[in-house]
Amino acid sequence: MAGELLSVRGLRVSFASDAGSAQVLDGVAFSMKAGEIKGLVGESGCGKTTLARAILGILPRNSARIESGEIRFDGRDLLGLPEETLAREVRGREIAYIPQDPSTAFNPVFTIGTQIDDLMRFKSPLLRGGTDDRQGFFNRYPRERRAADRARVLELLRLVQLPNPEAVLRKYPHEVSGGQRQRLMIAMALLPEPKLVIADEPTTALDVTVQAQILKLLKQLARERGAAVLFTTHDLGAAYEICDRITVMYAGQEVEEAPVDGFFGRPSHPYTRKLLDSLPTSEAGIRGIPGEIPRLIDPPPGCRFHPRCDRASALCRAERPAPERIGPAHSVRCHHRIGAAEPAG
Amino acid sequence: MRRVARKLAEDRAAMLGLGLIVLLVLVAIFAPWLATHPGDVTEFHTARRLSPPGPENWLGTDRMGSDIYSRLLFGARITITIAVTAIAIAVVIGVPMGLVAGYYEGIGSDFLMRVSDIFLAVPQIVLAIAIAQTLGPSIENVILALSATYWPFWARLVFAETRSMKNEPFVEAAIALGCSPLRVMVLHILPSISSSIIVRTTIGMGGTILTAATLGFLGLGPPPPTPEWGRTIAESREFLPMAWWYAAFPGLAIFLVVMGFNLLGDGLRDVLDPRLRRASQHGR
Amino acid sequence: MKTLVLIVNRLIWFFPTVLGLLAIVFFISHVIPADPAAFVAGENATPETIAAIRARLGLDRPLHIQFVRYIQSILEGEMGRSIYTGRPVAEDLLGRLPATLELTFVTIVVASVIGIPLGVVSALRRNSWLDHGLRVVTIAGLAIASFWFAILLQLLFSMRLGITPLSGRIEGWGPEPITGFYLVDALILWDLEILADALHHMVLPVATLALPAAATIVRFTRAGVLNALESNYVLYETAMGYPRRLVIWKYVLRNALIGTVTQIGLIFGILLAGAVVVEAVFDWPGLGLFAVNSILNSDYNAVMGFTLIAGTMFIVVNLVVDIVQGMIDPRETR
Repeated sequence: MAGELLSVRGLRVSFASDAGSAQVLDGVAFSMKAGEIKGLVGESGCGKTTLARAILGILPRNSARIESGEIRFDGRDLLGLPEETLAREVRGREIAYIPQDPSTAFNPVFTIGTQIDDLMRFKSPLLRGGTDDRQGFFNRYPRERRAADRARVLELLRLVQLPNPEAVLRKYPHEVSGGQRQRLMIAMALLPEPKLVIADEPTTALDVTVQAQILKLLKQLARERGAAVLFTTHDLGAAYEICDRITVMYAGQEVEEAPVDGFFGRPSHPYTRKLLDSLPTSEAGIRGIPGEIPRLIDPPPGCRFHPRCDRASALCRAERPAPERIGPAHSVRCHHRIGAAEPAG
Repeated sequence: MRRVARKLAEDRAAMLGLGLIVLLVLVAIFAPWLATHPGDVTEFHTARRLSPPGPENWLGTDRMGSDIYSRLLFGARITITIAVTAIAIAVVIGVPMGLVAGYYEGIGSDFLMRVSDIFLAVPQIVLAIAIAQTLGPSIENVILALSATYWPFWARLVFAETRSMKNEPFVEAAIALGCSPLRVMVLHILPSISSSIIVRTTIGMGGTILTAATLGFLGLGPPPPTPEWGRTIAESREFLPMAWWYAAFPGLAIFLVVMGFNLLGDGLRDVLDPRLRRASQHGR
Repeated sequence: MKTLVLIVNRLIWFFPTVLGLLAIVFFISHVIPADPAAFVAGENATPETIAAIRARLGLDRPLHIQFVRYIQSILEGEMGRSIYTGRPVAEDLLGRLPATLELTFVTIVVASVIGIPLGVVSALRRNSWLDHGLRVVTIAGLAIASFWFAILLQLLFSMRLGITPLSGRIEGWGPEPITGFYLVDALILWDLEILADALHHMVLPVATLALPAAATIVRFTRAGVLNALESNYVLYETAMGYPRRLVIWKYVLRNALIGTVTQIGLIFGILLAGAVVVEAVFDWPGLGLFAVNSILNSDYNAVMGFTLIAGTMFIVVNLVVDIVQGMIDPRETR
C-alpha cells in the first residue's frame, strides 16, 4: 500500500482493575495515509483514547497490557522499539500530540516560553539529520539553533493567530484563555514538523464558539505542512468539518471505515446508522441509542454491538465479522450490513 | 465498613500498629497481674538500686531500686489516661465547633476559625509548656494543657469538610426537605466526614502521647513517684552511661506506642481518605 | 507589584495573629493563676514582695486595663525580670536566639538535602522495597521522642565511642561574637579550627532534630511527586517525548517542591518544639535550654517570655513561607 503512514493490526489491549481485566481494545485494525485527516469516532469509553495512547506508547505501564497486535508507523514496528528510542525519535518528533484539556496539559509553574523552549531544544526539526542528536539533561542548546528555533516558534504562534506572541511566551499558562492555550498546543504539535498529529478530543474542553475556529486552524495548518491528523471525537459535526475519512469504534472494536461523504451518505453498519440518527434534528429532536454500552470486563462475544442491534442474529453472537470492502476506501464489519442483499437466517 | 476492614487487614504495617495498640491496652488493664513487682510503684528497695537487667528485675531497677519493668506497665495506664482523656476533650470541643462554624456562615464562624488559627500558629508543645507551668505538675493539668492546645486540629478539619459537604446534593436535599440544622449536621454531615475525623484522631493520639511524654521529661507531668515514662527518662540522665537500661526501656515503650498509632493512622488514611484513594486508583 | 500586594495581604493577617498570641499568653499568665503576682515573685518570696509586685504590675486593676498595659509593656520590649538570672527576660532571650536559630537552620538544610532526594526516589520507585522501607523509617522517625533519641545518641557516640562532644556548642569560649552565629562568625574571622569545632558539636543535636524533620520532608515530597506524576501535564510531556529526566527533575520536582516549601513552616514548628528538649539534653545554650531551666526554677516571667518569642518566631516563619510560596507559585494570585 503506497503512502500508508500508520497501520494498526489486531491490537488487543486490556486494563487491570479491582473487578477484573477489561478488554478495552479487541483486535482493532486501523490505518492512515500520509497527509490525511482521519476521524476516530465513538461514544466515550469506546477505546478511542486508548488507541491514541497505544500509538504514542504512553499507556499506563502498571495497569495497561498490550496482549497482541502490531503498530507500524512509517516502516517501523513501534511496539518493538525500546522506550528510549520511542521517546527520542518518535514521540514529539514523528508523532505529535494535542491533548484533550489544554488547561491541565501545560505545566502550571513554568512559563509557556520555557515549555516551548524545552520542546524545541529536543524536538526541533533542525535537529533532524543533524550531528548532535543526543538527549542529555545537561546538553547545551547551541545559540545559533536556539535563535533559529525562536524565529520558527514566533512565526508559528502568529500563524495560530495568537496576538503578540513574544508576550505570550513570557506568560504562565493560567494567564491566557482556554482557546489560546489550545492554539498554543496546536503550534507546539506542529513545531517539530511531525508526520502525524494525534489530536485527542482537542475541542471538548472549549466553548462551542471557539471549537470551530480551532478545528479549521488545525486542518489548514496540518494541510499546509503535509501532516496527517488522527482526530478522535464523539462529535460527528466536528468530524464532518475537518476529516477526509472516518473510522467508527464501538466498545473496543472498529466497525466501519468510510470517506466522509460515504459515512454520512451511505452508512452501512447499524451502529453508524444509529449514531447518525442520534444527531439532533429540528423534526425529531434528540434520539438516543437504546440499550447501554457493554461492560468491558465481561464483554458480549462476537460483534459487541449485537445486544443493542435490531439486525442481530446467532451468527453475530458467535463470531466477529471480518471487514468487508464495499466501496473505494469504505469497509464495514457487519454480518448484516445495511444495503446488502439480506441473506436468510 | 466491611470493605474498609478487609483492606486494612491486608496492610501488614497497619495491622502491626493495631497489634501494638491492643498490647498497650492489655498491658494497662492487666498491669497488676503482669508486673513482677506490683508494689514498686511506691516501694523502694535501696539495696537493689540501679541493678542491671537480670532474672529478678527483667529490665533492671531505677535509682530507688524499684523494678523498671513493673513501673513501665503501670506507666501505660498513665499514658492511656492522659492521651484518651485529652483527645476526647479536644474532639468534644473541636468537632461541634467545626460543624457549627462550617454550617453557618457569618462573623461568628469567622471568629471561631480565626481563634483556632491563632492556636495553630503556636507550636503545641510551647503552648502546653506555658499552660502546664501555670497550672502546676499534675495528671489533670497535663490533660488540660494538651486538650487546650490540640482542639483546633479537629475544629479546622471539621470546619473545612463541613463547608465542602454543604454543597453536596444530598445535604442540599436534606436542607430543602426542611430537616432542622441540628439534624442535617448530626445525621447527614457528621457520618460522611467521620472517616477524616477517625484518621485525624488516630494520628493525633501518637502526637499527644509524645507531647505528654515531653512534658513529663521537662518535669511538668504528674509528680513522682508516678511511673510516668517521660519523667523516668529524665531521672535516668544522671546515671548515664552506667544505667543505660534506665533510659532505654521507657523510651522504647513510648516509641512502640506512638509507632502503633502512627502505623494504624497511616494505614487508615490510605483506606479511608477519599482524596488519596482516588489518586491511588488513578495511578494503577 | 504582584509580590508587593502579596506581602501586604499577608502582613494584614500577621498583626491580628500576633495580637491573638498575646491574648493567649496574657490569659495563661494573668487569668488562669489565682495570684499571678505570687507566680512572678517565685517560690521563696515574702508577702511584702508579692504585694509590691502586685501593685507595680497593676494586677489589682480590671482585666481589660491589665491587658492594654501588658501589650504596651511588650511593645516596649519589657517582659519582666527573670528571678533566676536577675536580668530582663527580653535581653536573656535575645542573647540566646542565635544559638537556636543556627541549630534550626542547619537542621533544615540537612533535612532537606537528605529528605528531598529520598522523597523523589521513593515516589519514582513506588511500592518497591525501598519505598516500603522508607515508609516504615519515616513513620518511626516521627514516633521517636526526640529527648530519648538524643540521649541514645549521646550514650552511644559520646559516652561509649567518644567520637562526638557530649554537650555544649563549642570547646571553651566561642569566637568573638559578631553575629552570635558561631559558623558565620568563624567564617568572618576565618578561624577554621573554631568552625570545625562548632560543626563537631552540632553533629548530634542536628542529627536528633533532623530525623523527624527529614521524615516529614520525605513524606511530603513523595506525595507531591506522586501527585505530579499522575497529572495531565506529565502525560502531555511524555506524549511529546520530553526526556524523562527533564520531566522529573525539572517539571515534576518544581511542582512537588511548592508543596514541600509550605511544609517548612510546619517543620520549623517541629524543630522549635524539639529544640526545647534537645537543647536541654545537649546543654545547647539557646532558647530551649533557657526555657527548660526557667521551668525547673519556676521562673515565671521567663517561661512566658519564651512562649511569646517562640510563638512569634513561628508566626514570622510561616509568614515568610507564605510569601515565598506565593512568589514561586505563579498560580498564587491572592
